[in-house]
Amino acid sequence: MEHYNMNLTLKVWKQKNTNAQGGFETYAVKDISSEMSFLEMFDVLNEQLINEGKDPIAFDHDCREGICGMCSMHINGRAHGPWAGTTTCQLHMRAFKDGDTITVEPWRSDAFPVLRDLTVDRTAFDRIIEAGGYISVNTGNAQDANCLPVDKHKADLAFAAAACIGCGACVAACKNSSAMLFVSAKVSQLALLPQGEPERQTRVLNMVAQMDKEGFGSCTNTGACEAECPKEISLTNIARLNREFIGAGLSSEK
Amino acid sequence: MKWSQFFNTSIGKKLLVGATGLFLCSFVIVHLAGNFQLLYNDEGKAFNAYAQFMGHNSLIQFIAWGLKVVIILHALIALKLTFSNRAARPVKYAINPGNQTSSWFSRQMAIMGSILLIFIVIHLANFWGKFHYAEMPTRTYPGIEEPLKDLYALSYETFQNVWLVILYVIGMIGLSFHLIHGFKSAFQTFGLNHKKYNGLINFVGVWIFGILIPIGFALIPIVIYLKK
Repeated sequence: MEHYNMNLTLKVWKQKNTNAQGGFETYAVKDISSEMSFLEMFDVLNEQLINEGKDPIAFDHDCREGICGMCSMHINGRAHGPWAGTTTCQLHMRAFKDGDTITVEPWRSDAFPVLRDLTVDRTAFDRIIEAGGYISVNTGNAQDANCLPVDKHKADLAFAAAACIGCGACVAACKNSSAMLFVSAKVSQLALLPQGEPERQTRVLNMVAQMDKEGFGSCTNTGACEAECPKEISLTNIARLNREFIGAGLSSEK
Repeated sequence: MKWSQFFNTSIGKKLLVGATGLFLCSFVIVHLAGNFQLLYNDEGKAFNAYAQFMGHNSLIQFIAWGLKVVIILHALIALKLTFSNRAARPVKYAINPGNQTSSWFSRQMAIMGSILLIFIVIHLANFWGKFHYAEMPTRTYPGIEEPLKDLYALSYETFQNVWLVILYVIGMIGLSFHLIHGFKSAFQTFGLNHKKYNGLINFVGVWIFGILIPIGFALIPIVIYLKK
């Protein structure tokens, strides 16, 4: 791919803290390489702002290799920018042209309050996991792994669901701020495997109850979450979550 | 989880919306089949006899009142979900993805449903209200002993008004756009998302419920208007 440099105008959301009134600030960046990642472009901008004695832009990032799920940026109306199946750190500047104006916003959801600028508080996801997204393992010697036969197809489905990195793009992309894709991935990865069987019913009931409590919206099956998910988690997981929830609701005695 | 808690969760409410929605889908088939009798050239014999049966058979009347309850439940629960969904994003995005990540139809369910609800109220006032609660002229047909309420003539009279014809066509556009997403969405809510069935569900939802049935309904007032 041919390398080129570009000058860009950035409109970035600035907000001092959760309770402060936020607004867009406009910045100009020059000579951005098409081979930079989107976050590297932000590093260049922040260096520039620090040299000018201005307030740099707060944004979340950790691994910068597409697996940690921290880089929550809504870029030109798209969660993690215009490319499918990528996080913001894996979005490269060759997705843009010289002279482009790029608008960057934080995830917008009542359940994800803005902490500062582009960083949001996603601990609502942690509380959903705490409500049931685990298996209880008793102490003692681990048994031989081959004692538990697992169907290969189910193992593949569980693995695909387990690819969820909890980045929150599904919530950000959904017009209802629904967390169904996240919850469905976390329920599916355990419901598909024998290890998840003992707590199968209480898990789904408690996780859905916690999801509602956190203030996420409900699912209207628009499919925007699946389109924006950097790990391409399938909507079939949401159908599985619904089946698990119906089954548990019908038969659980608690 | 108690039933009261189950149906108060977001998924529980959606199950109610999906179940009532699919029941209403089954109703539109029956309703359309009955209405096509308006286009027979028999001066309303078949249609009026059918209306007499539907209006007086106690089992049908039980279902008809159930239908009204179902419509109200469907609308109320869906509106409640819509308002809580809007509240889940108090600060909106400056730029939205539009049709890049989801279909336009899937995002207009509340708007199309509201158009449909207003249409249903007007439609009930136009025909059901007059048939049951107003003085109706009757007509006698050879072979049928008792005189029948002439709902056929009322339909022909009503659809001489071009504005009502347009209103009915708008109502059916609302039905079409609502069902293009609504029918298949209900199956996903019930957990049915499977390679072997998705094609069929999508076809029935888009082509039969979303296009053919609304066109069938819309044709009736148009044909009656053009027949005069």
